[in-house]
Amino acid sequence: MTLAIELQDVSKSFGDTKAVQHLDLEITQGLICGFLGPNGAGKSTTIRMIMSIIHADSGSINVLGTTALAAKDRIGYLPEERGVYRKMKVGRFIKYIANLKGMRGSSLHKTIDDWLERIELPDVRNKKCEELSKGMQQKVQFLAAIIHEPELIILDEPFTGLDPVNTKLIGDIINELHHKGNTILFSTHVLPQAEEICDRIVMIDNGLKVIDDQIDTVREQFNPNIVQVVPLHPNVDFLQFEGVMNQGTVNKDGEINLYLKDDACQADVIGNIASTIPIRGIQVLQPTLTDIFIHQIAEREGSETAEKTREHLTNA
Amino acid sequence: MRKTLTVAWREFRDTAMTKAFLFGAIVMPIFTIGLFIIVIPLLQTEDEPLDGTVAVFASDDVVTELQLLLIESKSPLQEQLEQLPEIVTQDPIAKALLTQTTKSTITVESIDETTANEMKSLVLDGTYLAYINVPDSLVQSVDSEQELTVFIPNDFANDHTNFITRNAENAVVNARLKRQGHDPTTVRALLKRPNATTMRVQEDGELAIDNEIARAILPIAFIMLLWIAAFTSGNYLLTTTIEEKSNKVIEVLLSAISPMQLLGGKIIGQAGVSAVILGMYGSAAIAGLVTFALMDIVTFSQLGLFLVYFIMGYFMIATMMVAVGSAVSELSDAQSLMGPMMLLFLVPMMLWPVISQHPYGSVAITTSYIPPLIPFVMIIRMASATEPIMMWEILLSIGVGYIAVLCMVWMCARIFRIGILMQGKPPNILQLAKWIRQG
Repeated sequence: MTLAIELQDVSKSFGDTKAVQHLDLEITQGLICGFLGPNGAGKSTTIRMIMSIIHADSGSINVLGTTALAAKDRIGYLPEERGVYRKMKVGRFIKYIANLKGMRGSSLHKTIDDWLERIELPDVRNKKCEELSKGMQQKVQFLAAIIHEPELIILDEPFTGLDPVNTKLIGDIINELHHKGNTILFSTHVLPQAEEICDRIVMIDNGLKVIDDQIDTVREQFNPNIVQVVPLHPNVDFLQFEGVMNQGTVNKDGEINLYLKDDACQADVIGNIASTIPIRGIQVLQPTLTDIFIHQIAEREGSETAEKTREHLTNA
Repeated sequence: MRKTLTVAWREFRDTAMTKAFLFGAIVMPIFTIGLFIIVIPLLQTEDEPLDGTVAVFASDDVVTELQLLLIESKSPLQEQLEQLPEIVTQDPIAKALLTQTTKSTITVESIDETTANEMKSLVLDGTYLAYINVPDSLVQSVDSEQELTVFIPNDFANDHTNFITRNAENAVVNARLKRQGHDPTTVRALLKRPNATTMRVQEDGELAIDNEIARAILPIAFIMLLWIAAFTSGNYLLTTTIEEKSNKVIEVLLSAISPMQLLGGKIIGQAGVSAVILGMYGSAAIAGLVTFALMDIVTFSQLGLFLVYFIMGYFMIATMMVAVGSAVSELSDAQSLMGPMMLLFLVPMMLWPVISQHPYGSVAITTSYIPPLIPFVMIIRMASATEPIMMWEILLSIGVGYIAVLCMVWMCARIFRIGILMQGKPPNILQLAKWIRQG
């Protein structure tokens, strides 16, 4: 198992702020890994350290078997803060970055044209970067990050500022690159996006790693014991059923979450409810990454902080 | 190295191959020089011929002298051009102007004593160009308290006024000389001062002509070249670095290259810009020297040493500029850090009179080994000195200067590495010193 990224006991502080604390991370080649956490969790700092843009205070970082500085041409990086030369033409900007990544030759122009076509920006080659919308600039930057077909692609919040159509477009390209065997690490604070794409997730909060596993394993490990029911008539008291500990409010789709006791059997509760009252549907609720993340925070920092984080993630 | 050169080429191309640069650094200077050349012919249009009659109340000999002077005299512009130094009058353009100036036709009319009021109205209505009143006592005695009076219309041009007044004054002097039995032309010829050639005796007994023009022009020209070329590209370095920071493109760049490659590329690219400016202004200066047949005032060794000190000066300025640019996020924030830096570079300018007057004095020698001042001070010294600066002094200053350049590049690199990713409040000098230690 070859490692694309290996961090051992990495820490970084800015003044009194501990941005990253004793972080261990191993990402095998060919994996697509979500690096998750709310804003200010330490994701971008970690990525910058992986890229050798900033240096860790302690610990060791290994990228593609060497340092990022030595492997820069094999890495594609889309930073969180988007930046282009405003007065430079799009084609020239991409060519410049490609040149810096070691790409040369006459085929480069055709590669750029093909990729511009692929990201649905076929007519912008001779436009100045400043003439593009923010979303278009972001796609151009994404292209600049992957044009040299790197082994390792690190994308810091790649979907921020994109509309749903372009989010899907970029998501499809990321999947395509993954299927070609590229290793992809992407950070986001929008957890459902990661849920759709990733094989594996690493969650950090306040610079500390809180989850690091395959996404299915994480889901299995985290069983919130919640049953979601859609009653035909509202105002049903579900606390009358054995095993139900608490009842949530009705959401806009008429769904109610029933929080079961730890020792309650989900199958028994579902059978009991279905045979007693008229319902449109009932199911065991699959935990989302947000639920899992909130649960982790609640365990470590209490429910008040967890709720604040949930609000933060919902509004993001 | 290839990546560094890629950065350098982008830096050069985006600076020197833009309309703004072409306009600011090439078109504008050419336009200014062109304007200077055109202004002189334009002045010619103001050199209207002075045609008409001048009324004179004076003794007959004064009237005759005035008549002679006005017939022989040249136009005001022609007189001004002839007073220019010989090197200028040898210029083809000036020569052409001298031969093209217009000739005035003025007659002199002697009038009887009349009241000033009557003459004022005649001058005012254009009957006479001017009225000149010369009391005879002025001719008889240099101690006379009476005055020569010239009445002219209110809108009479200054050049014409001077022309009439000067000729009237000369007519009085000529008349005085003739009354004393002297020939004015001979006397004036006798009074012409000879030009002295200063020969400096060298230590080896050889003689060297003291070229005052060279000593006056060369330091100015060299310092101007250094100042314009190095500071223009230094300024570009400052602004492009700040632009890359504020555009957030810096992180994209640093994902592809190291900070040192970026720094090196930027400095090399702007060195190219500086070389273009130096080449352009330098060739214009050499063309000027050739035009005025002054090529002998500058030697090849001076040019070579100027180049050595120019490169030193460029790197000193460039490293400071790029360090400041990397430390701040806005151009306005750069001012607080630029202030002390600019003061440092102004020191040689403030010391210029002392250094050029005493190129071997203690001030000149001391400042020759203080790093940021070295290129400026040495250029002033070399160009002002009446005998060559000692070779060991030149070599020592070059050695100290280039060691300082290496130190400055090292310090700049450490500031650049930390500063380039910093946003927000700009650091002060103490924080920069801390970055140098940390970097």
